[in-house]
Amino acid sequence: MVACDISKAVRRVDAVSKSEGTIKYVSDYSFDDCLWGRLVRSGIPRGKIKAIHLPDLPEGYRFVTYKDIPEGGHNYLHMIATDWKCFAEDEVRYVGETIGILVGPDRTKVEDLKQKIVIDYEEMTPAVTIDEGLECKGGAFVNSDNIHCRLSLNVGDVDAAFKKAAKIVTETVETGFQEHVYLETNGACCIPEGDHYVVYASAQCPFYIAKSISPLLNLTPDKVIVRQTTTGGAFGGKEHFPDVVCGPLLVAAYVMKKGVKMFFDREEDIENSVKRHPSKVVFKTGLDKDGNIIAMDSTVCYNVGGYLASSFVVLQRGCFHVTGCYSFPNIRSVGLGVATNTFPSCAFRGFGAPQTLFAVETHLCHLAEMQGLDPLEYKRRYFIKQGDTTSTNGKVVERVMIPEMLEQVMKASDYERKAREYKWGSGRGIGISFYNHGGAFTGNGEQAIIKARCQLHKSANGDVEILCSQTEMGQGFHTILPKIAAHVLEIPMEKVIFKDPDTSRVPDSGPTAASRSTMIVGELVEKAANLMKPRYDKEEDFTVETHYEHPEGFPWDQSTFQGYAYLGYGWGVCAVEVEVDPCTAEITTKGIWSSHDCGHLIDERIVHGQVNGGVIQGLGWGSTEVMQNIGGHFKQTSMSDYIIPTSMDFPKQGVYFVENPYQWGPFGAKGMGELVFNGSAAAYIDAVSKAIGKRISSIPLPTEEVMTYMLHGTDLKSELQEVR
Amino acid sequence: METRICFRLNGKGVALTTDPLRRLIDVLREDFDCKGVKEGCSEGECGACSVLFNGKMVTSCIIPIGAADGQEIMTIEGVSATEKGKIIVDAFADGGAVQCGYCIPGMVIAAYYLLSNNPDPTDDEIRLGISGNICRCTGYDLIVESIHLAAKRGGAIWKS
Amino acid sequence: MEELKCYMPKTLKEALEIKAKVDVIPLAGGSDLMVSHKRTMGLTPVFEKPVMIIRNLPELKRIYRNDKGECCIGAGCTSEEIAENTLCPWHLRQAASRMGAIGLRNSATIAGNIANASPKGDTPGPLYLLDARVKLSSVRGDREELVSDFIVKFRQIDLQPDELITEIIVPYSEDDFDYIFWHKVGTRKANAISKITVSQAIKFNKDDTVADYRVSATATGAKTNRSRDVENIIIGKKITPELTEQVIEAFDKVISPRAMPEFRREATRRMIRRFLSESAKRPKGKVIDTYEGYSVTGAPTPRS
Repeated sequence: MVACDISKAVRRVDAVSKSEGTIKYVSDYSFDDCLWGRLVRSGIPRGKIKAIHLPDLPEGYRFVTYKDIPEGGHNYLHMIATDWKCFAEDEVRYVGETIGILVGPDRTKVEDLKQKIVIDYEEMTPAVTIDEGLECKGGAFVNSDNIHCRLSLNVGDVDAAFKKAAKIVTETVETGFQEHVYLETNGACCIPEGDHYVVYASAQCPFYIAKSISPLLNLTPDKVIVRQTTTGGAFGGKEHFPDVVCGPLLVAAYVMKKGVKMFFDREEDIENSVKRHPSKVVFKTGLDKDGNIIAMDSTVCYNVGGYLASSFVVLQRGCFHVTGCYSFPNIRSVGLGVATNTFPSCAFRGFGAPQTLFAVETHLCHLAEMQGLDPLEYKRRYFIKQGDTTSTNGKVVERVMIPEMLEQVMKASDYERKAREYKWGSGRGIGISFYNHGGAFTGNGEQAIIKARCQLHKSANGDVEILCSQTEMGQGFHTILPKIAAHVLEIPMEKVIFKDPDTSRVPDSGPTAASRSTMIVGELVEKAANLMKPRYDKEEDFTVETHYEHPEGFPWDQSTFQGYAYLGYGWGVCAVEVEVDPCTAEITTKGIWSSHDCGHLIDERIVHGQVNGGVIQGLGWGSTEVMQNIGGHFKQTSMSDYIIPTSMDFPKQGVYFVENPYQWGPFGAKGMGELVFNGSAAAYIDAVSKAIGKRISSIPLPTEEVMTYMLHGTDLKSELQEVR
Repeated sequence: METRICFRLNGKGVALTTDPLRRLIDVLREDFDCKGVKEGCSEGECGACSVLFNGKMVTSCIIPIGAADGQEIMTIEGVSATEKGKIIVDAFADGGAVQCGYCIPGMVIAAYYLLSNNPDPTDDEIRLGISGNICRCTGYDLIVESIHLAAKRGGAIWKS
Repeated sequence: MEELKCYMPKTLKEALEIKAKVDVIPLAGGSDLMVSHKRTMGLTPVFEKPVMIIRNLPELKRIYRNDKGECCIGAGCTSEEIAENTLCPWHLRQAASRMGAIGLRNSATIAGNIANASPKGDTPGPLYLLDARVKLSSVRGDREELVSDFIVKFRQIDLQPDELITEIIVPYSEDDFDYIFWHKVGTRKANAISKITVSQAIKFNKDDTVADYRVSATATGAKTNRSRDVENIIIGKKITPELTEQVIEAFDKVISPRAMPEFRREATRRMIRRFLSESAKRPKGKVIDTYEGYSVTGAPTPRS
């Protein structure tokens, strides 16, 4: 059956096999002849390795380290930057840094032996927090100042505006670590086959793995074939991190001349995997005599951890989003990626944008409230519109439908009445937030760096196979792409084949990241299907290929970060209503309403599911998801310590959309996977702040913190600190 | 130390000789190839490894196989082959309950256990019924709706 | 008897005989022991001593009222079995119904929850409140001890090597009180560990003086806190704001929370104040919660 409207929901192709439990995740394969691997990691946050004492290893067991990397091989993992080592050599920079991999045929024996390995260190004082990193506690270990990376943005003349300002106020907004908690932990297997290696991995980006780990053995990426296995959630946590898992496996497979497999248990995964960057954003905002914003200066600090890896790009996206959905006349932002002795931070849904969006939303609320205004009325003054200048001196290309989305959310949530009736400090509150997310890679990165290619192959039986490197990790891409192809070709979806990618048989269409898959690769598939369509009935067996081409006329300079950072943004408005228990400070969320602009929806139910999941993940980040790092060690190491939402924590959501087709997306679709995460925490904190009548400027916010604010917090109407 | 352990698995009598302290999840996955039983947290917290133990939903990661001796175990493989199980699987597919899928076999078990005890649950009862099954993808709304759908489609079947 | 790594008795008698001869760790639900002894995925847990699996002993699964009308709960009853059984006292059912995940509640037993002697355990709060006793059996015979004495301190219980907890006897229930209160502040709304839980109960005389008042708190110290001396401040008197504050201040001296002390102390104070001031108003209904909105907020309502 050919769907008449591409938005109309279809059954996900993987729904039944996942429900019946027959689909295979990486740990469901037996990989019979393979050895078992266990990583041996640094137990200290900073220091030098003095000695490694191994127990007697029986035959067939081996402890593999950097010394086993063959001549010509490089002991690094290529994750945009190449500073993150596969194996620590003499220095360790964080707890959990891979020192070696112990391999052998019996997994219990491997574990027993692992427990007997003793490592002597010369310990050094770690820097754990952003402030400690900036202070170079224990001495700088990256550059001379512990700054991994920096950038600055400038629109207008902030200093001149500050001179004219009636008042300049400052505020610091902070966010914490967030753990992905994909339900399937990390796991992979690497098997030598002839002159190459085959890697099976739970991963987002198979080509990233091949490119990242092949230099370890001085191989070209095509000699490391990566086959993605069904991936049980990723959220950015399996974008670059699988390289850290697969690198040691590759070296071990080379040394042992045998396959090696490794699956993390939950505790191991939480303690030893990447997290969302903690952030500290310091605003200095100039106001005129009427309280209007005339200039906003921000210093955006992200806790990068021991190695840079992909964090500069995360920081860039953070700075680009620091003005949120607003247009201010003068903007300056400085971004600093701070080196600390914590596990390196990496991609997590939103990729740096959620932190600054939370910061700007929260800061605007406080600017409004100190003037006695409802934040919504204040924020309205600055909504960005088509043609307005962005934080990078580009223009907003598309129509911005925030007013329409706001209307939907206000109506659904009864916002006006509630905002009027729920007095600040009354125990009830309704908050609202505005957010966006630039789709795909920044600027012309899609053309300059990614160079995505995609193929459609038609077989004699009429089946069409989509060949690209995009992965299904839960977001629905195994359904979305065939749906696009089937729709264009006017053939049943069952005739379209789309398998988990194998890097030896698909072209590189780029990573499954950056909310780019539907927007960019979906468009390539739509174009390919259009090329195939006139030939479909005439030819039996043929392939068509499409390449990404960036639209002309939207310049971007990656060296100065000037120009059109994103051609298409997703936009969102979210309202959250809460009640606070006056005895216990427990917050109960009474309602959640959101409206999103993701262009034209490819499948309304899949998009609905993304909204639900992203919003709840954002609410978890803002409320219960406390992840502390004490002296370099993560304190929360299990799913009973690290508190993600259950079905009881938040009520059913009101989900709304506006129709705003995107001219360069398939059927008008835009990226939305990250967008839906970006705003709910700010709406929640706005609501809680109002309910308790106190200013809140950091997350997460577990119950005990709410109590602290209730007892000692600053009144919402009090003035923010003035500076000159 | 190995002991002979006999139990009923998905309606059939099975036996094995093994260490009685091995975890039920490991025996089910490795000795009986029930790979639909997923390991999420290893501490009875997330519900991905849920099975029915004498008809009651339990997390198989915290039970030694010795405790299953003489008892009755149903896994997702058994449940999804039943008429009730098929109704849930279908409803999950039609209702958009599934994203990454890793929690879903456990979620199907939870739905089966809930509906078998409460054929026509309210929203709150469904939320309570799946509150021991952690999902990081869906935010639960479409799972709740899918369970409503399964209740409606199953009708009298849930009372039998 | 040859020492084995694991014993699997079929009857209580057999279990007690093993316990008399071998220093075994009794394992019923596994929710604490299998987790604290786990290794990595696919590996068999390693225990420092032999284990005796008692999950399915039928003698430990009964719930009944004895001839004194006390509620007797078999040591092997799971949280879910207790939560569902209306013979069990209300406070205990509340606590049992909010303990961990459902799948875990179908394994976790009341005896395990007591024997674990964790300050965050869910059932000790109500058991302390209601003067519950544990029945300890061995081949030598049975003895009983108050739960509050049996739990000696953090992770330590008063159990002789040959003894097994076989029953929990709860002499009081909600029927003995006019108003009851149980509130758990968990790490989240379900499937949660307690940050603080307060159990309370009160009975009035005809002249509005307090006939009985009880309060216990968990997660507020090395073990569950309750003090008859504190309760006696208000027993025999009419509730006044001044007396209420005296109770609050006295109870505050009983508890000794280490982590988040201010939150735990303040929440405890507020919950006591709330319960005493609300019950003094003699409202209709029996259950008093932390605030009016709570019952309609979608917060978990345990199965009755």
